[in-house]
Amino acid sequence: MNAPERASSFLLDEDSGERKIVYTTDTKVTNAGTFRLNKEDHTVLNLLRMQLLRDPGVRFAGYIHPHPLINYMELKVQTNSSHTSPTEVLSNAIEDLGSETDHLLKEVQNAMENWRKENQDVLGN
Amino acid sequence: MPYQRFPRVEILSIQPQEIKFILSESDTSVANTLRRIMIAEVPTLAIDLVEFHENSTVLNDEYIAHRMGLIPVRYQPAESLKGSDCSDAFLPHRECVCYEHCMRCSVEFELDITYKVTGEEDVLAPLTVTSKDLVSNNELVQPAHFLSQDEQDEAQDEGVAIVKLGPGQRLKLKAIARMGISKEHAKWCPVAVATYRFWPEIHINDEQMATLTLEQKQELVDTCPDRILELDEVTGDIRAVDNAWDICTYTEDLKFAQAAMKKRPEDDDFVTVTQSKDRFIFNVETTGAMDADEILLSAIRVLRNRLNYLAQELENLKDM
Ligand SMILES: [Zn+2]
Repeated sequence: MNAPERASSFLLDEDSGERKIVYTTDTKVTNAGTFRLNKEDHTVLNLLRMQLLRDPGVRFAGYIHPHPLINYMELKVQTNSSHTSPTEVLSNAIEDLGSETDHLLKEVQNAMENWRKENQDVLGN
Repeated sequence: MPYQRFPRVEILSIQPQEIKFILSESDTSVANTLRRIMIAEVPTLAIDLVEFHENSTVLNDEYIAHRMGLIPVRYQPAESLKGSDCSDAFLPHRECVCYEHCMRCSVEFELDITYKVTGEEDVLAPLTVTSKDLVSNNELVQPAHFLSQDEQDEAQDEGVAIVKLGPGQRLKLKAIARMGISKEHAKWCPVAVATYRFWPEIHINDEQMATLTLEQKQELVDTCPDRILELDEVTGDIRAVDNAWDICTYTEDLKFAQAAMKKRPEDDDFVTVTQSKDRFIFNVETTGAMDADEILLSAIRVLRNRLNYLAQELENLKDM
């Protein structure tokens, strides 16, 4: 009856015009803003937060999950200067994580290949 | 890309049903993301719709439909021997243009088992309907009956038991498997276990150690319930055993024991065991739906695609 849609935790509700990312500039704090990431969870948000904190241009990065039954996350970012916007630092963080993931994929593939070469006799082929 | 890391991976073992590896030069956020994606976001196939034609068994339709959903379904490409990533071979059913379901977004299984009685039997034992009785309309997609040969050898049944039939009972149904992720329902979860542990960093303070007698050192070795330390018989030095990383569970016994052994409370510890912040021991076991190494590769691709998508959405944001 009032059960949520089965896919409501990971599929954007495009019918009601839901967008993946919504940005709001902070009205009280300088160089700060809040990203609302719809249909995301700790999986990606904690990754983004930790990557943002590695950037010396970032003064603050933190996220909240408002409620277990709410399917969006809010990511608050403040930068050190007005020359770099929160959107820019987030964009850089995602790019860095992207290349890290590419590297990880290659690394895993190599490691698997090497392991198979070294253990051919164990595998019996 | 100024703040990028270059993680390293060492494989400890690969089996179809289990993979163990070490991820290093990264951090917990990456390890945890990988773990969470393997559990909840790697797409697999699972039975999602069941159409009952006849069910005179003791279990009701819903109960059987639920049990069918939990049977691992394996996609094995023609040239491969592995349970593989099905995301390139199938469309998510919500994106497919078909009316209900079609070959592009689903796989159909048929099952029709009747317990026929001829009247000549001495004993009428129940008949078990298993995953072996499911007939697929796509030869690349089959239920995963067993995880390994060992498991099969030990099993009582031919496959995954669905229901037991009594004499004269019949079960006839059509089941439709679709691609999904376990964020929607746990039946799509490809892993039974996906965990990581922190690598232990065992530091032995030689200076402090020199103040101990051989008996005290032996006492220290025996204090640790995990037995991560050993005494070198020749030199009489304490060292970590070779597989300490594998058996260490970070008990506090060592800490308490050496606090009592110290001459002054402010002295340094003889041995310190800490959790590494950038080295993780992963252990992934499958349900049989996919091979363990394929799950890991698939998880990394899922992460890559998600980051691409987020980057694109962020670009769109700038243009607005
Ligand atoms: Zn379709």
